[in-house]
Amino acid sequence: MVRTKSLLASIVAGAMLSVCVSAASAAETLRLRMNGDINTLDPIATTNFTIRNAAYLMYDTLFSMDANYEVQPQMAEGYTLSDDGLTYTITLRDGLKFHDGTPVTAADAVASLERWGKADGLGKTLFAKMASIAAPDDKTIVLKMNEPWGQVIPAIGKISSNIPVIMPAGMAANDPTDPVVTPIGSGPYKLVPEEWVPGSIAVFEKFEDYKPRSEPASMAAGGKVAHFDRVELVYIPDTATAVDALIAGEIDWIEEVPSDMIAFFDGVDSAKPIAARQSGNSMQLVVNHLNPPFDNPKIRKALQWSVEQTPFLQAAYGNATERYLECAAVFFCDTPYASDAGTEAVLTRDLDKAKALLEEGGYDGTPVLLMHVTDIPAHDAYYSVLKPMLEEAGFVVEEQITDWATVATRRASKEPVADGGWNLFFTGWGFVDQSNPMTNVYVAGACGDGWFGWACSEELQELRKKFADEMDPDVKKQLAEQMQVLTHDLVSYVPLGQSFPSQGIAANLEGFIESPVPFFWNVRRTQ
Amino acid sequence: MLRYIVGRLLAAVPIFALVGIFIFSLVHLMPGDPAVLLAGDNANPKQVEKIRERLHLDQPVIVQFGIWAGNALQLDLGDSVYSNQPVTKLIAQRIEPTMMLAVVTLVITVLIAVPLGVIAAWRANGLADRLIMAFAVLGFSLPVFVIGYLLVYVFAVRLKWFPVQGYKPLEDGVLATLHSLTLPSVALALVFAALIARVTRASMLEALNENYTRTARAKGLGTFRILVVHALKSAGVPVITVIGIGFATLVGGVVVTESVFNIPGIGRLTVDAITRRDYPVVQGVILFFSALLILINLLVDLSYALFDPRVKG
Repeated sequence: MVRTKSLLASIVAGAMLSVCVSAASAAETLRLRMNGDINTLDPIATTNFTIRNAAYLMYDTLFSMDANYEVQPQMAEGYTLSDDGLTYTITLRDGLKFHDGTPVTAADAVASLERWGKADGLGKTLFAKMASIAAPDDKTIVLKMNEPWGQVIPAIGKISSNIPVIMPAGMAANDPTDPVVTPIGSGPYKLVPEEWVPGSIAVFEKFEDYKPRSEPASMAAGGKVAHFDRVELVYIPDTATAVDALIAGEIDWIEEVPSDMIAFFDGVDSAKPIAARQSGNSMQLVVNHLNPPFDNPKIRKALQWSVEQTPFLQAAYGNATERYLECAAVFFCDTPYASDAGTEAVLTRDLDKAKALLEEGGYDGTPVLLMHVTDIPAHDAYYSVLKPMLEEAGFVVEEQITDWATVATRRASKEPVADGGWNLFFTGWGFVDQSNPMTNVYVAGACGDGWFGWACSEELQELRKKFADEMDPDVKKQLAEQMQVLTHDLVSYVPLGQSFPSQGIAANLEGFIESPVPFFWNVRRTQ
Repeated sequence: MLRYIVGRLLAAVPIFALVGIFIFSLVHLMPGDPAVLLAGDNANPKQVEKIRERLHLDQPVIVQFGIWAGNALQLDLGDSVYSNQPVTKLIAQRIEPTMMLAVVTLVITVLIAVPLGVIAAWRANGLADRLIMAFAVLGFSLPVFVIGYLLVYVFAVRLKWFPVQGYKPLEDGVLATLHSLTLPSVALALVFAALIARVTRASMLEALNENYTRTARAKGLGTFRILVVHALKSAGVPVITVIGIGFATLVGGVVVTESVFNIPGIGRLTVDAITRRDYPVVQGVILFFSALLILINLLVDLSYALFDPRVKG
């Protein structure tokens, strides 16, 4: 009994001790829960968004996008463009250092860009159009193009995966598919490798030698001021636990609070959910153009008329109407290239038209395979909505219950369905990737070389090329609109609306930057 | 005794070989390609193919098995395809939280269950017995995640006595570790205690009806001495067996608890590895579990000697 008492006393003492310890360290430590886990810190080797988000803590970029979607110098002091529009001379800022203390040189930047240019889609286009890239001295990068191209600086300043981060030349010598094992960056926080436990935690410390720009922070651009000594990316797989931990003050931020957990914050002072419109996502139904029945354009159109967005959005977000938006704009709604051209068939459900098109297209009852993913709640809900919609329109549906890993593998197959191929799958894309006609995968029309689904259109390829070369913003907008009309006509995919996930934020934090990518410089604790 | 131990350990070798072949086949039968998951959504087929080559996934399965088995014999379980870190290191990082969780749970369980089982047997069919068995049924029937969330809500979110989640390693101090493990251990112990209380009760009832107990009572010994020294000691063998096997089950079965309380243990490592098709980790962890089970069974067998003199020699 005496022993039991002393054990209890020790546990209570431990409790008090740890409360004191956490109160003491809370002021300097920012604890974040991203949607995924940190398995690598090489944002060139993967397009994974969690890795991208973490990479922004520890790496810096030559240029970066500001809140007006314009690209500004970041590590670069600035650049000049020759009169013939071919030669870009980029100068590095003074005092840039890597986390191992070595200075950042132009040679490091060139090697980093070359590695990025082997992995990233836009990077590949840039390098294909480039005559040469060199570092004549430690501070100067000279980039020569074969022909003038308006996308050079926007490409080097792109905000989402793969971000063209600058790493030491030695690291950048790694093959782009081979992740760097001991990553070194030059950003405001540096990784603490000995405290990194994949599947659990990644720890970063403030990099004292980082020199922020003097301009105020604006999206990815401007001064990146680190206000914490330590940033911990804590991987908490169970979302309910993560929300409880936020409310109890054990963590400071959650990337996404599911709709059904928003109510957890009622009457809570310690944390709040904030709907972040800029970090919007969109959900899409991707259509395989190689396999019957959707190799037939009429039957693809029938699919488009068979579905409508609202039931999907309600299934995923319930009555939280502020968290979603019906939107059929290929480049997202509320963006520079947003348009409603050619969206009628996407937004309207018309079973008569669908049935007529099925008949016209000679639909012979070929079953449509639905690979019903159950381990991602939103996908699970979407498949449950889609099946009856298709059946009502007259499609024969064969459903297979599976998980995301299986679908992610199977979608790469160009084989017939019976040999491991597929017909349809749901996926989601973020705002930054979709809003840019150069990175939106559905408007490429690149046939067998394109993204899954392999929609094929020489006209779309031509339009994208024109868009890349065009400098006039008004003409660019027209070109984007034409791309949208063609994409919907081709039924590369069926857009199923836009959503605005809520982040969960500790009430005592301020300074969050409005951005589609979560950034943590500038953030500070008020008390 | 030494010959017995060596014999048991040698018998484990073919078991390992079978487990190795079985788990390798099973893991490679799963649909899903780790290279695709690693490459990310935006990757093109060439990038995926390069990753497959780097991971030797383009080789025939039998060649892959040869590479893996050869390395495993040298205690090299390969590198995780997900994090590129050695599997042995990943397992080593995760042993402490899982073992501590299992040990603390076991201690709490024994402290709750054995006295309850003894009391239930002593007052068999009385009110105390019925209340204790009702508790046992309740504990056994409630899923651990329900108990877990309830404990978190009351003791962490509302009362703030314990943390909602996470694990403090032993290097932060034993008290900090115990503090971080209290809620998960209690959640697990409630389920586990129900089982052990029932076994203790049944075993004690049998011992209490034995002649030697009657003799002890006739000699005028006190109730406590009869119950604990005479009856409980001979009732110990089945209880120890259940505790031993239970410990192995705990180590392998703490996945839900580790997820609910965000404890970076082996259970979570296993589940994460399966969803990511991280073949080397899944294989390594299962081999590790097999070794642990064999070892625990051996220890349980050896511990019988403490309770049953016939086992000695």
